[in-house]
Formats: sequence, structure tokens, C-alpha cells
Amino acid sequence: MNLDYTLVMVALGGALLGALSGFLGTFAVLRGQSLMGDTLSHAALPGIAVAFLLAGRDPLILLLGAGIAAWIGAQMVRAITTTTRIKEDAAMGIVLASFFALGIALLSYIQKRGDASQAGLDKFIFGQAAAMTVNDVLLIGIVGAAITLIVLMFWKELKLITFDPAFAAANGYPVRWLDLLLATLIAVGIVLGLQLAGVILMVGLLIAPAVAARQWVNTLGKMITLSSLLGMVAGMVGAVLSGADRGLPTGPLIIVAASILVLISIFFAPGRGVIYGWWLRRKQHGLS
Amino acid sequence: MTPTISENLAHAALEINDLTVAYIQQGSQKPALWDVDLRVPEGVLMGIVGPNGAGKSTLIKASLELLPRAAGDVRFFGRSYHQARRQVGYVPQRGSVDWDFPTTVLDVVMMGLYGRMGWVRRPGKPDRARAFQALEQVGLADYADRQISRLSGGQQQRTFLARALVQDAQLYFMDEPFAAVDAVTERAIVELLRQLRQQGKTVIVVHHDLSTVSEYFDQVTLLNREIVASGPVNQVFTDQNLQKAYGGRLNFNVGVGQVGAA
Repeated sequence: MNLDYTLVMVALGGALLGALSGFLGTFAVLRGQSLMGDTLSHAALPGIAVAFLLAGRDPLILLLGAGIAAWIGAQMVRAITTTTRIKEDAAMGIVLASFFALGIALLSYIQKRGDASQAGLDKFIFGQAAAMTVNDVLLIGIVGAAITLIVLMFWKELKLITFDPAFAAANGYPVRWLDLLLATLIAVGIVLGLQLAGVILMVGLLIAPAVAARQWVNTLGKMITLSSLLGMVAGMVGAVLSGADRGLPTGPLIIVAASILVLISIFFAPGRGVIYGWWLRRKQHGLS
Repeated sequence: MTPTISENLAHAALEINDLTVAYIQQGSQKPALWDVDLRVPEGVLMGIVGPNGAGKSTLIKASLELLPRAAGDVRFFGRSYHQARRQVGYVPQRGSVDWDFPTTVLDVVMMGLYGRMGWVRRPGKPDRARAFQALEQVGLADYADRQISRLSGGQQQRTFLARALVQDAQLYFMDEPFAAVDAVTERAIVELLRQLRQQGKTVIVVHHDLSTVSEYFDQVTLLNREIVASGPVNQVFTDQNLQKAYGGRLNFNVGVGQVGAA
């Protein structure tokens, strides 16, 4: 009974976080911000460590620390690209690596302190679904519902700034604020997902479902729906497999599941799939 | 309604005074636009021509407040852009967006209606009907439900034009609508420009092909960071002015008379 309860929470948490990542990842992928997502998740690690050192292991405080550090990381990328001639990808690489290195150093320091309560911080590196409690699941559910509601409310505005920001600006939309809103929602989704997928692989849970979904469908509404579903499947499968055996880290299992979905989609999707492309070329050659 | 002559004199469709735009680009010290004065009367088709890097697109973008202005004032029908926004339509360069975005032709056209729809509201049946009508005007009615990634360059351009048409503006800015389009699209655009002029609308078009300027436009502005000349094509589009705008880079014959540079 006890085991069943744990497994149900793990499955539920994995499914919800996967769906939320797939949902937000659709915008991250279409806006070409996949690597920004990777930078944010890596940059969160020192924030988790500092939050732990200052305030102990309350999960909400740890998430807050992660969010603040990710935000600082994003601001640093912006500061580097606007004040120097360093290009954005290099700026993201610098921030990602330096924040992650700082985070690892701080985690090692915490571990060396021999403080018994430090156990579990390393779950943020590769993710650990087994520790998911009913409170975690509730938090994910509430925040996820709020994010979904906001996106649906501003659906046409967010679609417009994603497809054609210049036209949106010429029509009087506050593009910068909408950009910031969307980036904030994505950052919140990433921070929530860290406990499941870990800082290293979180970007995979963000991107893979959206990339796979794009192969099969042709409208934004269908893409975001399918991406959420695929994310849910990957999140749940990974969480349950690792939850059943506490030795297996969750992040890698989720990403393996998501990658299989991506591979299937890249090869077998009609219209955009590789195999369809081969078949089409063969047919055209045959005719001409 | 045709505006009276006195109204015409009072408020040009577009009036630019002392516009300077600094170029925030690596290594470039020159301003993108320097002290531009431009007046476009209502109801004309105006072409903007000039060499690459002359600031043609910059002129449009700075007018629409998409780029910061270092100095200057831009008036639309005598009002600021903020006040006149609903009267101004915009066709960006088609290369400025990702045509692999998952959406349909009709959906892109409806984006032209978002501005007057207001926040949160979703497009409804009348909006779809309006968008479909605009697609008919540009000859793309059969493509309404097509995925935009499957359009040719010319069809992409006409989709953008349809999106501008539903804006139902009085003044249109078009950034290189003729760039790399097929003959069908070129004819469709020319026809559309004439229809717009008949309705009393003003259209400002960034244009590359000097050989078609006299045929397509009433007025022309020659631009090379500064205004070289601006006015009716038959007065302004001269060898001498082209020479000034393009310098020695121009060595072919166009429109009005011969250009003798090598």
C-alpha cells in the first residue's frame, strides 16, 4: 500500500511535469530559445546550493533559490550580449558553464560539511522522482494550471510575437513585455522540472516533446497539445521506471524515453519525416 | 471619401522632419539615416530606392517606431504614430519570419485583425470571412488552409499582402514586396497597388528594380542615408539624381533617359 502510494505520486508528478515542459517547450523551440532553456536550468544549481546553506532544505525555498539564480543567469547573458561584442551562443556557454561549475563546487562543499540533512541535494543534478510527495504534486498541479491558463488567455498575442514580432510591435503590442512574460513562464516551468529531470537534462524534457510533435502536426494548437501529451508520456515512463528502482536516476530515463519519441517522429512522421522524404524523392524520380 | 485639396495640404499621409537614426552596428560610425525630411501626399504610390545599406528599411522601421530614433519627428495624417496606428499598415520583408512556423495561410492573414480585436478575444467567423476575402484579392483563395511552409516565395509575399489588406489602413508601408517573386505575384502586386490608389490610399514601397520605377510609381524617393531627391517620378528620377544616390556603382540604363556612369 505504501509503495503503491509512492508510485502513484511519482507517476502523477512525472506526468504533470512532463506535460508542462512539453507545453512550454513548444514556444521555446519555435522561438529558437532551446539553448536559453539549457542555460537557465544549469544556472539554477548554485541557487539551490545557496538557498540550502541559508535556509535549510525546505523544497519551496530551494525552488526559489533555483529561480533567482536562473534569473541572474539570464540577466548576465543579456548584459554580456548588449555590452560586449560576444555573441549570444558564446554568452550562454559562458554563463551555463560558470554557474554549473559554481553549483557543483558548492554542492561538494555542502557534502563535505558532513551535515546529515544535505542528503538529497544531488537529486537536482540528474533528477530524482522517487522523493516526490503529495505536496510536490499539488504545487506542480497548481502552478502548471496557472501557467496554462495565462498562455491560453494570451494565446493569439503569444502566437503573434512568436511568428512575427516586428508586425506585432507595429500593431502596438508591447512585444518586450510579452517576451518577458513568456520567458518567465518558461523559466518557472524549468525550475519546477529540475527535481524530476535534473539541471543537466532538463533541456531535453523541454525540447524533445515539442520537436517530436512538430513532425506530426501543422498548427500551433495541435503542436502544443501533442507536445504536452508526449511530454506527459516521457515524464511518466521515466518517473515510474526510476521510482520502481531507487538506484536509477530519473532524468536520464525520461530523456531516453523522450529521445525515442523524437527518433520515431523524425523518421516516421508523414509529410516531414525522413522516410516520407525518401519515398517522395523515389516516386518523383520514378515518374521523371 | 476624397479629401479636399486644403486637407491634402494640411496633412500629408506621411511627414518626416529631421529624422536621424544611429546605427548600433559593430564598427559602423555613420548614422543609418541623417536628417531626413520627407513628405508623402495622400493617395500616391511612392517608391523608395537607393543602394544597399542606404537605410530604406531603416526609414520604414524608424517611422513605425520599431527602431529607436536619435532625433526627428514623424507624423501620420498630422498625428503621432501612437494616435494614427489603426490607419497604418505594414508589410515586413518576407524573409524576416520563419515560414516553417506551424500555421495556415488564413491564420497568418487573420493576424492583421488582431490589433483591432483587442486583448484576449479570439477571432470569430466575421474575421475569417474578412481574411478569406483578402486572400481572394491576392489570388490565394485556394490556399487558405495550406500550411505556410508549403508556399512559394511569391505566395508568401501575397500572404503578407493579404494580412496588410485586412488591416484596412489608409497608409501602407511595404518592405521589398517585389524581391525575388514570380511574374504572377509581381503582376498581382502591381494590380493591388493600383486598386489601393483608386481607393485613395497611400502606399510607400521599398523597391530594388530601377527599371520598373517609372511604370509602378507616381512618386519616388532616392535615398542614400540622406534624401537625395523626392517627388514626382518624371521630375525626380533623373540621371543626375541617380548618379548622386548610387555614385559610381550604377552603370546601366533605366527609366528616364540614360545613366552615363561606369
